[in-house]
Amino acid sequence: MPYLGGEETVRELRRALSNPHIQTDHLRYRNTIHRVIRLMSQGVDVSGLFSEMVKACATGDIVQKKLVYVFLCSYASVNPELSLLVINTLRKDCSDPNPMVRSLALRNMCNLRLPGLCEYVEQPLTAGLKDKAACVRRVAVLGWAKIHALLPNTEIDAAVVNELYGLLRDPDPVVMVNCLRALEEILEEEGGVAINKPIAHHLLNRLKECDVWGQSEVLSVLQRYRPRSEDELFDILSLLDPALLSHHVPIMAATLRLFLSLCSMLPAVCVSALERARGPLLAAAGSSSRELRYAALCHIQLLLRSEPGLMGEHYKRFYCGYAEPPYIKQSKIQVLVELVNDDNVAVVLDELKGYCTDVNTETSQAAINAIGSIGRSYDDRCLGILTGLLELKQEHITSAVLQTLRDLVWVSPQYGDAVCSALEKWEDQLQDTQGRGALLWLLGVYGDRLSGAPYILEDFIDGVRSEVSAEVKTELLTATLRVFLSRPAETQDMMGRLLQHCIEEELDMCVRDQALLYYRLLHCGIEDVRRVLQCGRRSDLSLGPLIGRPPEPISQWASIFNTLEPLMLGASSAGNSDPSTLTPYTLTSHSEPMTSDPHLMTPNLSSTLSPEEFERLWLQTEKGEFLEAYVMCPVPRCSPESLQVALQLVNIQTLAFTAPNKLPWKISTTPPNTLILAEVLQAGGDGVKKVKEELIEDQENEREESTNTHILITPC
Amino acid sequence: MSVSAVFVLDLKGKVLICRNYKGDVDMAEIDHFLPLLMTEEEEGVTCPIMMHGNVHFLWIKHTNLYLVATTNKNSNASLVYAFLYKLVEVFTEYFTELEEESIQDNFVVVYELLDELMDFGFPQTTDSKILQEYITQEGAKLEVAKTKVPTTVTNAVSWRSEGIKYKKNEVFIDVIESINLLVNANGSVMSSDIVGTVKLKTMLSGMPELRLGLNDRALFALTGRDKGKTVSMEDVKFHQCVRLSRFESDRTISFIPPDGESELMSYRINTHVKPLIWIESVIEKFSHSRVEIMVKAKGQFKKQSVANNVEVRVPVPSDADSPKFKTSTGHAKYVPEKNLAVWTIKSFPGGKEFLMRASFGLPSVENDEMEGKPPITVNFEIPYFTVSGIQVRYMKIIEKSGYQALPWVRYITQSGDYQLRSNF
Repeated sequence: MPYLGGEETVRELRRALSNPHIQTDHLRYRNTIHRVIRLMSQGVDVSGLFSEMVKACATGDIVQKKLVYVFLCSYASVNPELSLLVINTLRKDCSDPNPMVRSLALRNMCNLRLPGLCEYVEQPLTAGLKDKAACVRRVAVLGWAKIHALLPNTEIDAAVVNELYGLLRDPDPVVMVNCLRALEEILEEEGGVAINKPIAHHLLNRLKECDVWGQSEVLSVLQRYRPRSEDELFDILSLLDPALLSHHVPIMAATLRLFLSLCSMLPAVCVSALERARGPLLAAAGSSSRELRYAALCHIQLLLRSEPGLMGEHYKRFYCGYAEPPYIKQSKIQVLVELVNDDNVAVVLDELKGYCTDVNTETSQAAINAIGSIGRSYDDRCLGILTGLLELKQEHITSAVLQTLRDLVWVSPQYGDAVCSALEKWEDQLQDTQGRGALLWLLGVYGDRLSGAPYILEDFIDGVRSEVSAEVKTELLTATLRVFLSRPAETQDMMGRLLQHCIEEELDMCVRDQALLYYRLLHCGIEDVRRVLQCGRRSDLSLGPLIGRPPEPISQWASIFNTLEPLMLGASSAGNSDPSTLTPYTLTSHSEPMTSDPHLMTPNLSSTLSPEEFERLWLQTEKGEFLEAYVMCPVPRCSPESLQVALQLVNIQTLAFTAPNKLPWKISTTPPNTLILAEVLQAGGDGVKKVKEELIEDQENEREESTNTHILITPC
Repeated sequence: MSVSAVFVLDLKGKVLICRNYKGDVDMAEIDHFLPLLMTEEEEGVTCPIMMHGNVHFLWIKHTNLYLVATTNKNSNASLVYAFLYKLVEVFTEYFTELEEESIQDNFVVVYELLDELMDFGFPQTTDSKILQEYITQEGAKLEVAKTKVPTTVTNAVSWRSEGIKYKKNEVFIDVIESINLLVNANGSVMSSDIVGTVKLKTMLSGMPELRLGLNDRALFALTGRDKGKTVSMEDVKFHQCVRLSRFESDRTISFIPPDGESELMSYRINTHVKPLIWIESVIEKFSHSRVEIMVKAKGQFKKQSVANNVEVRVPVPSDADSPKFKTSTGHAKYVPEKNLAVWTIKSFPGGKEFLMRASFGLPSVENDEMEGKPPITVNFEIPYFTVSGIQVRYMKIIEKSGYQALPWVRYITQSGDYQLRSNF
């Protein structure tokens, strides 16, 4: 292979390139250059040939020129001094009579990406803006954006900016769109290109001339335009209306987004726009490219948050094909859950049942979860399916079913009997931590009705030494104690063993503390234990919003529509009933200004703030200041327990859940001795948002009460 | 949308060719791509978008290549995917087959194309018809490449250049309909739709003005005529040459066609049709010993039509062995690498019914792994027939030189995603 003898080859190529015989023989010279480029593509470091290649760019052969430029642009940063030599040739090419050569030279001059060379580039660029060939103007316009990216601290000449504004009226549509793109980049700090009425109307009128990319660009820039009057607004809307039905998905999506932002004050118009776009959206969800299908599905999920009824009758479009990749199946399953209604529930459940045995574990778990969430509002058929699945004796299915059952009975206690009868015959062994946790929870809660409960628990307690998961152990403690309350005779002995083990031999602090807590609680008398342990048996009715969400306002997500974010949301929630696999995500420096979306913050997992520093910052905050932070937490529709676990993963400790209309953390009414205060801090860096958080114990509770600080956790 | 860089990788994650458009993301980030993908694959949670630090990878897979775009902005994801597919489309038109070898053999053209397709992360000239005018594979050979600017870059009609000449002026119209069908295990049709395309092969001189007439229900309703069967189309999508405003106002499809082959329009029809080839199957599995399969295929289309190259693919357990087949027509074979029994019938007349029996042995030690229940799939094509009944009623060709041109029309119906779930 050529790259084994890398150095040798480079030396040989250098000899060849500087050989006058080869230089005069056009064909051989070009072939040598081809070899250089091929080596470069293969990852061989051929930067040593830079000076030879510089000479090769003075040629009339445009293909050779292109190749040499590719080479030069790749290695310019390694050879800044030698690059200066290229500038001359490039500048000469900029006045070539052939517009192809001119545009090529101009483009590559900027692509060298050497801040030091900018001064030589500006003059040809200025000339390029006035060039009579459109292809040169296209390049020149973007060239200014490149200069701006190279020298972010130097301002681009106001005259140039004006000229760019002028070129928005260029006859060539690509020049116009490139102008928009360049101005967006150059004026980023001022909030992008200024869209006044004449510009907006000009852009709208020329929209049809642009290609798909151009139209999407123009439509997204127009979002910033605010029409002066209602009449103007409706004129624009009726002009754009046909585009909502465009079968170019990007155009339809961009138009829809523009509609949503223009009509943010007119919810009825938004809804009718969504309804207009339903057909194309459904078509996109059936697109032949799986990536586009996935993007469409993620966006449909977004829409359904506000308009749950939007796709109701089209549920069949979201049936999974056998060969579809898991990520598509999982988003389809999530959509299907949203589309369930009285008429189709039986059919959808039948379909979902088929997915439960999918080869992909994640998909089958997603389907099981889906059946569980349908079960919250619809009959026991779901329960029949779920308990039927237990008979398959497939480890991952059983585990998912148990978790789903746990979540289900927590919300709908009336299913208790059915769950008990399903668990009555339990004799399996489970390896999965989550599944075992769920099983233990169920045993604890229904210990009085399950005749076998103490014996299953006994198996667990006998194996507690080899148990690795702290989560399972705490769950085991609670379950044992609960069963003890209803069946003391059978449980007392093993509970003693368990407590002894956990208190004396356990290394995990949480488990040990839990055991100690229970031990002391038992000393207080059985009535207290009952009060503490059995109050959590029934769900709090005020938790409704966590389960059946009311429709969100469209504005909640309109700003992220048609961007990358819905896909990230989809990726982190697809099939992840299991919060431990949640990945917090970061998106820095939006192409849209970040200010439009203050709700998006990312908890930093490794907090670097020392307690002292935190206290100092804490005291700086003014008294009475009301801090409110929204943490975008991708755990939709899950049980409070899972939400809590998910929050713990991002270092947020939840103390309690309060009903929606009450003040969170009722500190002022019952001041405890130790108050744990939490604060989400947002340190503003250079466009990078960092969120630090810290939990401290504050002894001076009296004073802090008045500041009324809390974390408001809104699941979204 | 803004893309920082575009990479073409082989299946081992080695960069075959790349282009750094913006320079705001380190090119070495791509080294994280394949490891990320591998972990996701292991966990069974692959996703077309992945993240490393603040870099997002948006990727698609084509044959033995990964096409990856990186970005650190919250750019429009579907537009990025659309661009990657555009890359595939353009490359395929250049090299007929886009795969590792064709990229390596044509790296000069690939570099040239990458240069023209996008600048500073923004798509520029993406129409392959235009690109082919000034980036040619011959350019890579000795003769000095064409250096004139193509007229189309500034032309009013960007998809057709002027001065095209043919001795014989002809247009070939292909109407192709594919049927997507999903039938569940108890034999009821869950969903079925028809996706149709109208393809053109234009061999016409000059700047001809074409008008295509279809038996479109909306058009007939508009003009108040009612002559026989009409078809109502949904999701109609046109090539950019079609004047959309005219279509919207009076449903006329008028256009100046691109030269050579192109896809003029596509549409979808949601009406339920009788499945053209109906499959009934009985799959009996006797654990530890054998599987018996009986498949009955029935042609539910007109007697005078014939379906060609019918292929019924029946899934069999992965540990099956010693296949035995008996068919009333055609022949059947076992494809162990795909766990399929494939029954091929070269020609299948309408209204007929055929039978295939197969039996496989199963090992006495059973495979523990759970297997999915793959559906039975059917491939076929029926020429001279459209399932929706769509027809080309006329094709008017007007050119200022006034030549006579002949339109040729061909119809074909084929299987799309044609699945029947089985019970085994």
